Formats: sequence, structure tokens, C-alpha cells
Amino acid sequence: MVGRALPFAAALALPAAGNVPAVAQQPPTQPPPAAFTIPIDYYKLPNGLKVVLSRDTTTPTVVVAVYYNIGFRNEPRDRTGFAHLFEHLMFQGSRNLGKLEFSNLVQQNGGLLNGSTRFDFTNYFEVLPSNALQTILWAEADRMRGLAIDTSNLNNQRDVVKNEVRVNVLNQPYGGFPWIDLPMRANTNWYNAHNFYGDLKDLDAATLDDATSFFRTYYAPNNAALVVTGDFDPARVRPWVQQYFGPIRPAPQPPKPDLTEPGQTKERRFSQVDSLAPRPAIGLAYHVPDRYTPEWYAFGLLDQILGQGRDSRFYDELVRKRGLTGDVSAGINSGLGSMYDYNGPMLWEVTAFHDADKPADSLITAFDAAIEPLRTRPLAPEELARAVTKLRSSFYSEIEQFSGFGRANLLASFALFDDDPGRINRLESEFAKITPETVLETARTYLAPTNRTILTIVPAGPGAAARDSSGQAPGASR
Amino acid sequence: MQTRRMLLATTLALGVAMPAAAQKQAPPPVGPPKDFHLPQKREFTLPNGMAVTLVPFGRVPKVAVILTVEAGRINERPDQTGLSSVTAALMQEGTRTRTAAQLAEDVAGMGGSLDVSSNNELTTVGGEVLSEHAARMVRLVADVARNPQLPASELPRIKADQVRDLSIQKSQPQAIALDRFRSILYDDHPYGRPFPNEDALGGFTVAQVRAFHAANFGARRAHLYVAGVFDGPATEAAVRHAFRGWAAGRPQSRPVPKPKAVRSLTLIDRPNAPQSTIVMGLPVPDPVESDYVALRVTDGLLGGTFGSRITTNIRERKGYSYAPYSTVTNFWHQSYWSEQADVTTSETGNSLKEIFGEIDRLRKKAPAERELAGIERNLAGIFTVQNSSRNGIIGQLAFADVQGLPDSYLTGYVKRLLAVTPEQVRSMAERHLAPDRMTIVVVGDKKTVEKQVAPYRAAAVP
Repeated sequence: MVGRALPFAAALALPAAGNVPAVAQQPPTQPPPAAFTIPIDYYKLPNGLKVVLSRDTTTPTVVVAVYYNIGFRNEPRDRTGFAHLFEHLMFQGSRNLGKLEFSNLVQQNGGLLNGSTRFDFTNYFEVLPSNALQTILWAEADRMRGLAIDTSNLNNQRDVVKNEVRVNVLNQPYGGFPWIDLPMRANTNWYNAHNFYGDLKDLDAATLDDATSFFRTYYAPNNAALVVTGDFDPARVRPWVQQYFGPIRPAPQPPKPDLTEPGQTKERRFSQVDSLAPRPAIGLAYHVPDRYTPEWYAFGLLDQILGQGRDSRFYDELVRKRGLTGDVSAGINSGLGSMYDYNGPMLWEVTAFHDADKPADSLITAFDAAIEPLRTRPLAPEELARAVTKLRSSFYSEIEQFSGFGRANLLASFALFDDDPGRINRLESEFAKITPETVLETARTYLAPTNRTILTIVPAGPGAAARDSSGQAPGASR
Repeated sequence: MQTRRMLLATTLALGVAMPAAAQKQAPPPVGPPKDFHLPQKREFTLPNGMAVTLVPFGRVPKVAVILTVEAGRINERPDQTGLSSVTAALMQEGTRTRTAAQLAEDVAGMGGSLDVSSNNELTTVGGEVLSEHAARMVRLVADVARNPQLPASELPRIKADQVRDLSIQKSQPQAIALDRFRSILYDDHPYGRPFPNEDALGGFTVAQVRAFHAANFGARRAHLYVAGVFDGPATEAAVRHAFRGWAAGRPQSRPVPKPKAVRSLTLIDRPNAPQSTIVMGLPVPDPVESDYVALRVTDGLLGGTFGSRITTNIRERKGYSYAPYSTVTNFWHQSYWSEQADVTTSETGNSLKEIFGEIDRLRKKAPAERELAGIERNLAGIFTVQNSSRNGIIGQLAFADVQGLPDSYLTGYVKRLLAVTPEQVRSMAERHLAPDRMTIVVVGDKKTVEKQVAPYRAAAVP
């Protein structure tokens, strides 16, 4: 994830200890009978800030998430990696909070925090004990109002980001695979196809003026969404939001760049050498249907059928039957999010690691053997029903992720991109409407080989090509 | 007009360092905290000795069903490193009444997955499913744990997969460093072998796998955890039925490690690496010892949190590293402290200097009350979040169970950590984090790094 993988966390003014009786007297509760519904209170401030409140009193914690409608796709052409570098600068000081004071304020009050940069947004969020909510709303508003950073902050975070790129990419086997490499190969529009972690040279060129103009343009309330979920008092949150975020002035937004990918008509293949990798790997990328079309929902189910779990067709074909790999990973926007948190052209990525004595072509043949039946015959209703069940369960896991942050992530995305956070409660029923015929049509169109790009990784690291799949070095005695 | 003013404001704010803090606003004060309680649980033991813990939690209609069995790396003989993980993988290849494919389809139809994995002390069998399938999942977990087919036909594939995963893992500098660090600390004890030998792994037979399963799986070494939203009485009935008659199994003996605490520095060459990977540390008191909680607080202040001294120093001041961290790693009645950092190659020596500088500073002078209070609340917050998910709750309970800690360990944890004093922290650092007992491993570009690290081969003489 482009973001700060900080081992953080923070503080909590906890009362003494919790009370946990050794044996509870009451029997466990019954499952809820009805469908799971998320409460939503959605409105906009006069300055354009979108606000979503969603109450849940399971634990005395809240999540505060501020999403800006600017991702790495849209960063300036000669400043690759700038959106992400700027994300780091948002932790370096605002009008009333100096360097480190923001993170200390959160952590010393028992909270955890992070930020990340994705295709279509940059986010900042905190998970906190609910008694710290007002303080953190004030602090998030403070940095939306204006930054106070200097050259030494910029230089420091430039060094930190370079070390982030080194530890995650340059000094790692398969460092950019597939999350950076595959979008760069499969897309043709610069906005979707550039190195968003950044060229180290471009990072060196970034200036404070760049930061000023980036902040002025994109970090305005009319280009943002604020989400609060968890155990809050609804009567108090609205006045706080108005008090702290209401006075922040909006800024006119430049026209959105054209992100369109021209339709692909021919399969493309690439190969790249990895000087640290010991084994070959393969990645396939397919362009997915536009969001919220019936084909998009059907593609979400195809992902379940082909790529998710040990009952999936890829697992059965490549792992269990042919023994080509130990695992197949698949997903829409899987490198940097999920199928629910992007806004533009997107890829379905499929990857596997294999051995040198099993050529890439044997894996491609196996992938095709798993895919092609779905393009010729309608699914059995039981298999479709199983896909819907798996999808519902994975959706629940996603909204629960990281103490409820997952829920805030979807509410913010749906507010920011679609002006419609209520969508979170309609997704289940939209997937349930998909028929075997729609799945067949979607597979015919979008799983065609002409719609895909294949990238193979040629290992050149220590140990590469020295061993076959038995794990034995050639000539070694048993 | 509006935009011009905005431009001016941000230009000033960004371009100029803030003048004196006099005009700054203070944050609104934090309100009184609400009570936090660990979730209630129901515990019982089956007649065959298997422990059961049921924890109703949350609103989302899912449930985690996890069986832990005391069968892990610690139960392998020296020539068997990796046998526990091969056994775990082969357990997923079907039971006496279900093929692997049927098993996978059954659990997928419940909206979940069933995984078997092993670590140093435990093999875990289970996963999460939709709530209405809690009882069915209990039966499936019992079947996999009690009646695995362990088919010879799938063993070559499982071994090839694990050999491949291993070779990929061992190409990562962090894994290379950890492997060496642990082998120096624990020598030929299982804790000293985090990664199996590829050739040995390739040689395991199905007879060895079956013997390992027979010797280590049984009710008396097992604990079933169910957490989430589920029908209590129906789930309990399913547990009692599915595990009835499971043999108690054999008792285990675990070799006791004799960790090494001698200053050394090992440099492993990674030609032209743009970063050096540093792992350094030493054995420390384990969770059943009285110093443990104070030591965790000391770790949090020194390197274990984002606001900690080492991270503030080498990341936020110097920019040498992206995500350095320290932690206490726990085995069964055995722990070590370590700092890990991936640092710019040219700053490898300086990074060691700063890390040792922070350790020395803390050993000499107690932290300010305010700094420590912030770290303690930070750690309390982490603890709360750890107890706010199904798997997090099960992880905490299983940890206490493996270590043989009483319930009061978890219920009193926050109170104990908030009571740790500045002088206690200093004395923990002095007694338990002595640089002259630390093992240091550096994986990096030898030709650039060798001279930089030379001064740190031996501890400085005071």
C-alpha cells in the first residue's frame, strides 16, 4: 500500500481494567434475523464538504476519516510520486500543531492513525476512544485549513519516502510485482500507467511551491469527504463538524483529466528480469467493466468463482490438478484497495509464483482451461449461489476491517465518487440480481484473451534457475 | 477574491516556518473516557480434556471458529524442521469422509474458508463463516483435526509448494537477517530455525507426517474458540457432539532453550543493496515473569510505537529509515527484544550510532512523566483495538492460554501498564537491554558497509 505502514497506535485513557468474569452467566446472543444494515446520516456543509455519520456502539471507539478526491493517477506529469510525498507532508505540521504533534495528539489519547495514497483518493484516518472525537475533529480541520511546513520537513520526508520505496520495491524480490508493474504495462493512458510511487529523480525535484499549489488546489473542503463512524453522540457531532470545518473556504476545482483507456483489441505480453527474485512469476491483467453496470457486478462474482478460495476454479486447475503453483491470487484493484474504492478504469489482476521447470505457457494454458468454460456455458445455479454467499461474507469482512475503518472507507468512497454513501446498503441486493446469463455474457466479453496483458517475471537472483520443483539442486544426491 | 485570499494564506503557511507558538490554539480537551470491558465469555472443558471458550461479540453476522492444538515447531525433532507445517498443509487435503474439493466447497458455501497453519507452539484449524453456519463449521473443524486423510498422493506437490515459498521468503533481506539472528540466539533449538532446510523439507515422507499427527494431536492439547455472532446453545451442542470421543492424546515435552546473550556483529553481504537491514537484540524476561509488562512499556517508549524515541530519531529527524520498530517476540516461556530497521546504505553506521545512543540515554535517565504517560495510553489503545475483532480476541486468549497466564493477565493488563513509573522504565532498560549482550545482524552491501559497522562489533568500553 502506498502509505505509511507505521507500527503505530496510540493511547487510550482507559479506566482501570475491563471486567471479564471467568464464566459468563448469560448464554451467547442469538444471530440477528434480518439483513445487516448500516445506519447513514449524509449531508453537505455550505462549503461543499461531504459529511457521513454512521453510528455503531459495539465498542467505545470511533473512526474519523478524511478523504480528498485526489489520487496518484492525477498527479502532475513531471512529478511522479508527488501525491504520495504530499500525503507524508500532511503529518508534518499545520497551523496549530507542529511536527509530530498531530500523531502524538492521536496516539497519546489512545488512538491509531494512518494515511494512504490510492488511485483516486488520498485518505487520513484515526481509530480512537470515543471521548477523543472532538479533539481529533478539530485537528483534522486544522490541517485542512492550512499546512505549516518548511524545507527541512520536506527534505526529511523526501528521505523517508525514498527509504519507503527502497524497502518496498528496490531492495525486495518482486518489489513492484504486480501492484506497480502490472498497471504500468496493462494501461496506456499516462494517468493510469505511470510509476505512482515515483521516480527518485522526480522526488528530488519536488519543491515547497509544488506542495503549496497542490494543497491549494486539491485539499479544499469541496473536494473532500469527512466520515465519522462508531460510538458517538449524534446531537453533538453535527455542531462540532460545523464549528471546525464550516469556516474553511472552498476552492475552484480544475477540470478532471480524461482517464479513459482505449479499448484493448489484442493480447499483450511483457517480460521483465528481476535481479533479486529466485523463482519465476506470472501476472495477468484484464480491464474490468465500468462500475455499477450489471457486468461489473457479474465480474465481482466471476472473481469469486475463478480466483477466491480453495473451491475456486483457478485453485482447482493450477494448484490441485496440475501442481503448477501453491496459490493463485486474484482481485479487482487488489494491489491498492478493493472493487469498491476506486473511480475510473481498473484492472482485475491474477498472479502466481511457479518453478523454472514449468514454463509460463503451461500456466497460461491452465488459466485458459479454467476460464474458457465460463465463456461457453452458463453457470450452474448452485455455483452462482455459492459465489454470492462468498461475496457477501467477504464484503462483511471488508467493512469490519481494522476496527471499522473498512466501513468508513466505503462510505467515504461512495460519498466522494458517487454522492451516494447509501450504496453500501444496496450492494448485496445488486449482486443477488445477477443471472447466469449475465455472467456468461460478461465472461465472453471481458475474459477474452484480447482484453488482457500478461507479464512474466524472469528470476535472476541468487538461487534462480538452480533448482527445479523438487527443491533439489541439479546433480545433488538425495 | 476568496481564492486569492486562500492562495495567500496557504503560501504563507507552507513557505514560512511558523513564528513563535504564541498565536497557536490549543486543542479542545479530551472528554471523560467511557468504560471499556473485554467481552464476556463462556468457558468449559469436555470430558476428554478439550477446553472450549465461546465469546459473543459484535453485530456483523459472522463467526470465527478456531481450534488450537499444541503441535508446532517446538515439537519437531532436530532433523524434522518444517514437518509441522507440512503436516498442517496436508491436513487440508481431505478427511476420511470428504475429499479436499468437497471440503473446500462445503466451507465456501458457508461464506468462509478453513485453513490449517502452524507456528512455533500451535497448529490452528479453522476460519470465519457466516453466522448461521456456526454449528456446521464446528463439525467441519472437528473432522479436519480428528480425521485427516493425509494422502501420500498430494505430498510431493505440498512439499514443492513449501520449498518454493521458502526460497522466495529467504530472498527477502528481512528474512535473511532474522534467520541468522535467531540461529545465533537459539543455536540448534527449534526457535533458532525459523526456516526449514529446503533439502530436508523435500525429503519428508507421509509416514513421518502421519506419525507427527498421531503424536501431537489430541483433545488434551486442544482448545476451541468461537467468537462473533452465533447461536450459543446450538453451537455448544455441536461442540459437545463433534469432539465427543476424541482421544486425549499424548502429553508433550518441550526442549528448553538456552539463549545466547553475547555481543556480536554479523555482516551478511547483499551486493549493491540500496539499504541495510538491521536486526539487533537480546533475550529478555518472558510474559510469566514479573518484569514483563514494565518491559513492554519500555519497548513502547524506546522503539515500539510511532512516537517512540528511536523512530522519532532515525525517521522523523534523520530520515534514515521508513518504518523502523522494536518489539518483544514471545515463544513459550521465552522472549527476546529486537529493533529492526531498513536504513539507507550510506547511513548504516550512523543508524547503529543513533539506536545505541537512544538505548544508552534511556538506561541513564528516567523519561519525563509526560512522555511516559503518552506512551502508556498509546499502548492501552493498541490493546483495546486488539480486543475489538473476532480474531484479535481469540489471539489474545490463545496467547494467555499458551503461556499459562491466568485471566487476570488480560483483565488487569491495562491497569498494570498504566502504573509503570519512569524510574521502572529506566531500570528495565538498564537491566534488560544491555548493549554488551546484544546480537547484531546486518544484511547489506558489504563493500560499503563493512567499515561503517566495524566500530560496533564490540560494545564500547565505558
